[in-house]
Amino acid sequence: MATLRRLRETPQHFLSCVMSSFHDPRPRHRHFVETHYYNYKVSFLIPECALLPKELKSLVTELGPYYLVKNLPLHEFITPEFINTFVKKGKLILSLDKDTYEETGLEGHPSKYSGRKSMRFIVSVDLMELSFNLNSKKYKRTSWSFKEKKPLKFNFLFAWHNTGAAESSLMSYFSNYHIQEHQPRVSGSSLGELPCPVLQSDYIAGLPGVLCGAPELFEWLGAVCSNVDQNNEPHNFISTYCCPQPNTALAKAYLCSITGFLLPEKICLLLERLRHYFDEPKLAPWLTLSVHSFADSPVAWREKEHGFHKGGEHIYNFVIFNNQDYWLQLAVGANDDCFL
Amino acid sequence: MEFEESWSQRIMRIDPSDYHYMKVCLEFEEHGIGLNAAQFKQLLVSALQELFGEVGAALPFDVLTYEEKTLKAILRVCNSGFVKLWSSLTMLGSYKGNKCAFRVIQVSPFLLALSGNSRELVLD
Repeated sequence: MATLRRLRETPQHFLSCVMSSFHDPRPRHRHFVETHYYNYKVSFLIPECALLPKELKSLVTELGPYYLVKNLPLHEFITPEFINTFVKKGKLILSLDKDTYEETGLEGHPSKYSGRKSMRFIVSVDLMELSFNLNSKKYKRTSWSFKEKKPLKFNFLFAWHNTGAAESSLMSYFSNYHIQEHQPRVSGSSLGELPCPVLQSDYIAGLPGVLCGAPELFEWLGAVCSNVDQNNEPHNFISTYCCPQPNTALAKAYLCSITGFLLPEKICLLLERLRHYFDEPKLAPWLTLSVHSFADSPVAWREKEHGFHKGGEHIYNFVIFNNQDYWLQLAVGANDDCFL
Repeated sequence: MEFEESWSQRIMRIDPSDYHYMKVCLEFEEHGIGLNAAQFKQLLVSALQELFGEVGAALPFDVLTYEEKTLKAILRVCNSGFVKLWSSLTMLGSYKGNKCAFRVIQVSPFLLALSGNSRELVLD
């Protein structure tokens, strides 16, 4: 009976919402964005706006490129040349099942989400530490593992924040492998009249009967991005979904989405431009910026392990108000740290 | 869970959503079979009835979006009925004598998650 009950349960999930201001002397929003490394999709919604604002047009088309390299052996990541050219400082983090972990012969630790019987292990290789001493036991063992003991090959996505070296370095560096350059896919749509929740920046939890809170806004945003009809009656057979109350009517809105492998530095830039959208008076009281992580990345934020139960979701969303206050929301599924 | 230093306001909800959302696709063995939104919903109700009886058929759920061309839909169901609905979709094998199957593409307690699924990224 206990097993049956457990099978019927839905996995735990978390939604954390915080409020702050861009005028805060500590730029926590920037640090937050910069430490989310694996970003798959960015979308922003601007109420009372029909077209992509010109100050955002150039940035939206310059969020790439990213690269796909096929059948790349892991040992390429621990060569001093690769580390000195592209990595500077960083770690190679592997999330391995039990058999693969034992076959590599490397030192790791059990996944914090694997329960009593560990079936998944995490190996973390400090690339800077390795490159400083190529004669160390650690380097020799890692090299032996990747080249001889268990030579692993994968298809990799690369995105590189170039701080000055030659532009085509990634293409030329991996020219011996099958490498393709890709540009992020951009799509924009002008939305007609739609209901939207009434918000006020001071009231993140809402006010019953007067204002909606951050959780209601988060669900409504999902409905807008999935093009869900929000004008249903309670007796409707097909769907009873409707916009959270209290709500108001928007005459129009602009929704833009960019998908690919997107750098946190570029997302930071986009966040700053969106924040400055309100430098001139606008009809919109607020706008939103949402970022979806890759569902299956080994880490989602800093080096925190990203497990997944069913969905692998790890989403953050900024609600930027015209008075420079913002709400920051983080939604994670089971087996993830919620740390706001 | 760990928290950063103090923000002006914070709310933290564990299991905030009363619902789970499912992105599904209905596939037929033969081409050319179409259903409108009402027929699609009725198909799901009868799938629930077949597996769980009249009580199961009364489980409230919404078809938030439906594309007649691709037979793709987003469903919303309360958490207590999530497993019942998913298992009904799994066991459904035919519609009006035509063999079919449901593919569950994505599930999440957050509707926003269904608009961005990195597992659908195709680069070749």
